[in-house]
Amino acid sequence: MNQSSRPFYWMALSLIGVVIAAYILFPIFWLVLASFKTTGELASLPLTFWPQAPTIEAYTALFDETSQSSQLLNWPTLISNSFIVAVSSTILVVFFGTLAGYAFSRLHFPGRDLILGGLLISRMFQGAALLLPTYRLMNSLNLQDSLLGLILLYSAFGLPFATWIIASSLREIPFELEESAMMDGASRLQSMVRIVLPLATPALITAAMWHFVGAWSEFAFASILMESSDNKTVTIGLASFVELFTIEFNRVGAAATLVAMPIMVVFFFGQRYFTRGLLAGAVKG
Amino acid sequence: MNRSSDRWLAYFLILPVVAAVLAFVLGPTWDVATLSLTQFVMGQERGFGTLVNFEALWADPVFGTVVVNTAIWILGGTVFCVLTGLAVGAYLAIDSKVTTALRALILLPWVLPDVVTAMAWKWMLHGQVGVIGDAFTRVGLSDQPISFLGDPDLVMWMLVIVLVWRKMPLVALILCAAIRSVPAEQIEAARMDGANAFQRFRHVILPNISFSLTAVTVISMIWITAEFTLPWVMTGGGPANSSQIMSTYIYQQSFQFFNWGVGSAMSVVNLVFLMAVVGLYLYINRRSWAAGGSK
Repeated sequence: MNQSSRPFYWMALSLIGVVIAAYILFPIFWLVLASFKTTGELASLPLTFWPQAPTIEAYTALFDETSQSSQLLNWPTLISNSFIVAVSSTILVVFFGTLAGYAFSRLHFPGRDLILGGLLISRMFQGAALLLPTYRLMNSLNLQDSLLGLILLYSAFGLPFATWIIASSLREIPFELEESAMMDGASRLQSMVRIVLPLATPALITAAMWHFVGAWSEFAFASILMESSDNKTVTIGLASFVELFTIEFNRVGAAATLVAMPIMVVFFFGQRYFTRGLLAGAVKG
Repeated sequence: MNRSSDRWLAYFLILPVVAAVLAFVLGPTWDVATLSLTQFVMGQERGFGTLVNFEALWADPVFGTVVVNTAIWILGGTVFCVLTGLAVGAYLAIDSKVTTALRALILLPWVLPDVVTAMAWKWMLHGQVGVIGDAFTRVGLSDQPISFLGDPDLVMWMLVIVLVWRKMPLVALILCAAIRSVPAEQIEAARMDGANAFQRFRHVILPNISFSLTAVTVISMIWITAEFTLPWVMTGGGPANSSQIMSTYIYQQSFQFFNWGVGSAMSVVNLVFLMAVVGLYLYINRRSWAAGGSK
């Protein structure tokens, strides 16, 4: 569409770009800046842009046993819980998603498209309406307030999308490759592991990243299920800062920065996989 | 290859996924539906087959506020997400180094955890030391600090603004991809016929992306209906229920007031609404689903 080489066109284009970039980045930037300011600086007008006396006090306070806020929740515990839940459920989702994705893309069976469609539609109902019955279900299974319960729940929620991403990527891999391996005497499992999986690796990475980001960020279900402070996750910890909001916003900013960090790392290193997953099927719900 | 063994292998492979969805989505849906028809007295189940929970929901003075707020949330959110998403998507579709870089960056609000987004915006909208209120006073739009989240008339619209920041990027990227797939010859032909940029957009690009536009509108409604964390962490439904929407009301009734009757009734209303929107989505997509569930 770009036909014009007029300087005005280029300037207008760049200007709009700068405005959009500022709109996207400013809230994040402002939050990170706040985490390096002192409480006094945050509470006084006129507002300062750059921290006047940059300090990492807010970060060390989160990990300081004796400081007031960390008596409520222990951040090292929160972080390790979130990692355990996000990583374990990602492994489960990619493993079982690959098995199911293989079946949906390679095998013929009655009801195949209907089942896959049903799985995708189920994603659209995973909202606030399921909070109460999920709480009841987890209680009856004795899985409330347990990391295992949360891992199973997140896996169940993440499996349909992972299955779909993997299935649609496997469909693009020519069946002849596998067939010729089987002609040469490879079993179905061998041909799947040696021929299909290496080619599907990008799709597996996409599925893993999407799930990890979702599981790390989840708040609603974790907040109703995890009761003891040993089992809480980072999102619950961050949300519990609402009470400390005005007095100690630097700590809120520090906690929020820590919570966002793994997501940002995954996002910046896995940029192309994200976009891939998006174009592959985010519109499917 | 043996077709029948193929079939059993397939059922075996998809069993974990299907079982997980039956147990954690379909089962709970059924459970909340029966729960909503069960009477509770002091937390004890007292009889099935009653509409008292729906009557209690209807009689709750907050219910009217919830309906109005949810309408602002879902309709306002969807309209602004799609309009800004279309504008930004059209911009991103232009070939240039600037737009290519932005296409990568713009998804950032979409991957950021909701709790983080809520905290960042709550801080920017703070009544005394918020940067947005500060900017307003500096340019002279207001002579005193505005309590954006404390004003019952403003709070819902502030939530919609944050929602647009959070959800618009994906809408923009999807529409950007749709615009970029419009055949270049059609645009060129219109240009030859003397159509200006606006006319080309209106008469060539829009008709070509109408399917994506409709699909992304309906899917936005589904995303926005499901969104709970953002409003809950930012306002908790307050001040005085003035930003209470369906999802926050369900949470409040079920887990703060332990009023499972009303909580489950609202959940069912939420599910019925979702089913209607999902039905609309399936209707719009009927050709692509019929074509084999793939694309």
